[in-house]
Amino acid sequence: MSTSLSVRPRTRLHIGRMGMRLRADLPFAGRRFPLGLLLGGLVLAVLCVLHIATGSVDLSPGQVIAALAGHPEQPFHTIIVWDLRLPRTLIALVTGAMFGLAGAILQAIMRNPLAEPEMTGATSGAVLAAVLWLGQGPGRLAEPGTVLPLIALAGGVAASGLVYLLSFQRSSLPGRLILTGLLVSAVLRSGTSIVLLLHQEALGSILIWLIGSLNGRVWVHWDVLWPWALVALPLGLASARWANILQLGDASATGLGLRVPYARAALLFIAALLAASAVAIVGGIAFLGLIAPHIARRLVGADARRVFPMSVILGAALLLAADIAAQLLLRPTTLPVGAVLAALGAPFFLYLLRWRTP
Amino acid sequence: MSRSSTNGATPAPEEKAERPETALSARAVSLGYGERLVIRELSFAVTMGQITALVGPNGSGKSTLLKALARILAPSRGAVYLDGRAIQQLPAREVARRLAILPQAPVAPEELTVGELVEQGRYPYTGPLRPLGEHDYAAIARALEQTGATAFRPRRLASLSGGERQRAWIALALAQETPILLLDEPTTFLDIGHQLDVLALIRELNRTHGKTIVLVLHDLNHAARYADRMVTLRAGQIVADGPPQEVLTEALLAEVFGVRARILPHPVDGVPLCLPFAITDAPREQPPDAHTTITSAAETAEKTVGQRAGS
Repeated sequence: MSTSLSVRPRTRLHIGRMGMRLRADLPFAGRRFPLGLLLGGLVLAVLCVLHIATGSVDLSPGQVIAALAGHPEQPFHTIIVWDLRLPRTLIALVTGAMFGLAGAILQAIMRNPLAEPEMTGATSGAVLAAVLWLGQGPGRLAEPGTVLPLIALAGGVAASGLVYLLSFQRSSLPGRLILTGLLVSAVLRSGTSIVLLLHQEALGSILIWLIGSLNGRVWVHWDVLWPWALVALPLGLASARWANILQLGDASATGLGLRVPYARAALLFIAALLAASAVAIVGGIAFLGLIAPHIARRLVGADARRVFPMSVILGAALLLAADIAAQLLLRPTTLPVGAVLAALGAPFFLYLLRWRTP
Repeated sequence: MSRSSTNGATPAPEEKAERPETALSARAVSLGYGERLVIRELSFAVTMGQITALVGPNGSGKSTLLKALARILAPSRGAVYLDGRAIQQLPAREVARRLAILPQAPVAPEELTVGELVEQGRYPYTGPLRPLGEHDYAAIARALEQTGATAFRPRRLASLSGGERQRAWIALALAQETPILLLDEPTTFLDIGHQLDVLALIRELNRTHGKTIVLVLHDLNHAARYADRMVTLRAGQIVADGPPQEVLTEALLAEVFGVRARILPHPVDGVPLCLPFAITDAPREQPPDAHTTITSAAETAEKTVGQRAGS
């Protein structure tokens, strides 16, 4: 009989060691969470103003606020702020939030801190559907408009459904879900590559979209995005209690009165909806869904009721910050924000790995 | 030696017999994983108000039976009944208000605090959206107090010792405020002190708070000491069922576990104590000195009991 005093190896979760070392710094756990929300909101507001101020013509934060308030310093400030930059800022804010929340949901239901939206097939499904559609004719690239996002969304949700069905045998285990998601994504990505090879004339524009970019995002895109965000973000935030129960393992969750297969399918669907509708507008931005929930857990602990909102804030903040960097780093060239995030995200990820194995 | 292959109810102590309306039983259930059946046509009724220990060798189906009672595993044949209704047909949260389960190796994010963990026990009452009310917080506080976990409520699971961790998990089950508590090997991974600690807590929950408890135990001596009823399984069948004094016999140990053992009264309080010393189908006789040792241990035990009785 095992008589180890303080270690129960089987109950240790992947994030086990981290938990030990993080105890000192959970600045916004427990009662301090509202403070964290407040600070997060302030940071977001500041980032939004800075984001609007950034561009080929520099504005000062004061000029931005004046233009937003309807008292522009110069008449053309109104055009710059309202017509050119505000939609881009709003899209960054909301898609960032959606990526962050999708990642947080997936990490909770898969009980794996390395899960990210890509693992539902949502990202690669959306990308393949979009690329297939774009490849049908050069005219479609000229005006992506409103159809492309819907096509991408359908592709993303369909791919997630496929992942869930394939992983389902009597019950859907988190481990099987992750593996199936990775495999389906790999197949879909190879499909994308084949389409790209067949339509090399469109390669450049599609590639930018694959990496993920906010360049040229205007009100048309926002109009397609906001209805999905309005549905999926509240749904995701409201599912935090389910996620909390699912984090306790299938047996405990069943014992607590949760219908585990339904709850997991519902959460997976919400995450796929979030990821696919965000991908549909800004492309396959990697790492955001992985990093935002990680930082969120460092700040607020493991309770999904706090991790979810904090992931929303951090996802939005990171995307805004990265997009500011994308516009400033190689001026006057504007980089695709997906590339900037990946360039910053990969080192961060390495840091996490090093830090988790002392 | 009294043994019955039936699942006949052991008479419960009078004051507890009439108490609960809740009843949990398995009727002719066949259970398994995929194609492999572990249990065939087994019937078993939980005695309300008592502590029932399920014992048996590895793979005998005791954990499987517990999972079926907890609605975690659906029977391929037969059904588990809670208050006369098939448990798979009942709303999930309604079941979770009447029975709680502590699985064998529960998992949770290590950054979760004990308080946050125990709070999840209110889900059967609140559902996914309703915020916790005064009554919920009172139930959480009671659960923490009953398990002696109030002191480490703000601590993270990662910082707990094995014993504290198990208390936190039991508190989670208690926060569900169920008349029935199912525990799958609650003493695994604990040292002897913490094993007894957890078992004493379970007895306390039964004696003081009237919980009906069904638990899977590997240690027969623990089962004999803490259970009112001991149900022995072998190869998916109940082979012995009754009070520990009747169930725990040398013949049973040979037949079910394949070990040769002596059953002695515990020197302190006379509870049956099993001391295995060899495997039944071992080709060789046990070394003679081993036998001597056991005999002398038995003699010592009898002497001790005699002395205590005399003094």
